[in-house]
Amino acid sequence: MRLYFFHFYPNKILMRVICTKKLFVLVAVFFAFLAAGCAHNVNRPLPLGQQEVASPSQSVLPSSGEEQPLQEEEPVTIADPLEPFNRAMYLFNDKFYFWLLKPVAQGYSTVVPEGARISVENFFFNVEFPIRFVNYLLQADLRDAATELGRFGVNTTIGIAGFFDPASSKVFDLPKQDTDMGLTLASYGIGHGFYIDWPVLGPSSPRDTIGKAGDYFLYLDSYISPWYVSLGIRGYEEVNATSLAIGDYESLKEAALDPYVALRDAYVQHRQKGIRGRKSEPEPVNPQTE
Amino acid sequence: MKRQIALVSILMFLLSSVPAHAGVPLDTVRVEVNKVLDVLRDPALKSESAKEIKKERLRSIYKDMFNEAEFSRRTLARNWSLLNPDQQKEFTHLFEQVLEKAYIDKILSYTNEKVVYAKEAPLSENQVEVQTRIVTSSKEISISYRMILKDGTWKVYDVVVENVSLVLNYRTQFNEILAKNSPEKLLEILRKKVKEQ
Repeated sequence: MRLYFFHFYPNKILMRVICTKKLFVLVAVFFAFLAAGCAHNVNRPLPLGQQEVASPSQSVLPSSGEEQPLQEEEPVTIADPLEPFNRAMYLFNDKFYFWLLKPVAQGYSTVVPEGARISVENFFFNVEFPIRFVNYLLQADLRDAATELGRFGVNTTIGIAGFFDPASSKVFDLPKQDTDMGLTLASYGIGHGFYIDWPVLGPSSPRDTIGKAGDYFLYLDSYISPWYVSLGIRGYEEVNATSLAIGDYESLKEAALDPYVALRDAYVQHRQKGIRGRKSEPEPVNPQTE
Repeated sequence: MKRQIALVSILMFLLSSVPAHAGVPLDTVRVEVNKVLDVLRDPALKSESAKEIKKERLRSIYKDMFNEAEFSRRTLARNWSLLNPDQQKEFTHLFEQVLEKAYIDKILSYTNEKVVYAKEAPLSENQVEVQTRIVTSSKEISISYRMILKDGTWKVYDVVVENVSLVLNYRTQFNEILAKNSPEKLLEILRKKVKEQ
């Protein structure tokens, strides 16, 4: 187990070949990007909207006994003016999960072996390549855009139409990554606004909802007609994904004192790190409040 | 000459005061996680009846690995001072039970997952984040342990699963409860939660 990490590096020659390839793709993408003329210079994410800002600066923590005050990371919070509506939607989604989605996913997983379900998930993830590629470009993140392009190329061909993920293997070393238009908007300095828990679709915000709508046009299945076939495919994708994640929501709920707040916070934290993780520079800890 | 001696002694002082922690947090996590895996994979404890023994062993590993006081204090942050010492004690105890009941079965269900110890990222001079990944047959889960150096040992005070910090997640919940209720009410909610679980 200990050696696993060190095995992760492919041998040097391969590494060099991959680097050269990556560089080539990088340069190609760069020119494509210039030609497209959408040169947003997003080097640093602006401080996020005030709604996302946590309570005022530096928590002065009581030091009990000899313990020194904590150097704390402030929790990122989100405004929730629609709380009554959201709580109702949370209940709806909770029932939707336990009464419909979970039983269907469980039934499905008894028929379809796990390996096949993972392949199906890989396939859908590969099909969603345009979303990630375009958004990395919009974020002026050429490196990740190049990685995406490389992953798509490898997985569509060697990975047999995307059912397998050889790109993230040691040989290619192009690890799986994810982004979407909500994060692109965030990188332009647009804050969440406030929290919305949509029925069926789940936790979101005005920003991420607009992002989702934009991404819709980059989903290949959006262009399948008639609409109910397209919807069916999305539904199937959801069932398949759920079958691989049974137990996740249950444990979140089990561990929470207020599952609604726990889920809302998990959503905000998860999204926040999505913005942070991509940029090397951390977000300012205490962005300007009004 | 005097200056040189002074310089050397300052240098010596600086060197000696640099905490020797290179790699220690990561190794601590590795050792403790391996202990957990040993318990989970112990063929002698396969049977259903051995579940309690397993739980008991996991509990003692948890005590070695985590700084419980730090863990619960951080979930309350500034609200910690609203509780009197007795309440703080009870809170720590109840919070631990909530965590145990919520996660122990989940942990017991793991068997042949691989753990990758990715790296150590410093957070401050006495705090470090040890990043690991659990590789299951279907996915990779990123788990980071935030550790603090106290009395010469590194202990965990927060666990970050898939970018969601446990401490911050509980803090948001506790904040919201304490914004409208007394600390006693919070303890009541916790007591009820422990009973229900």
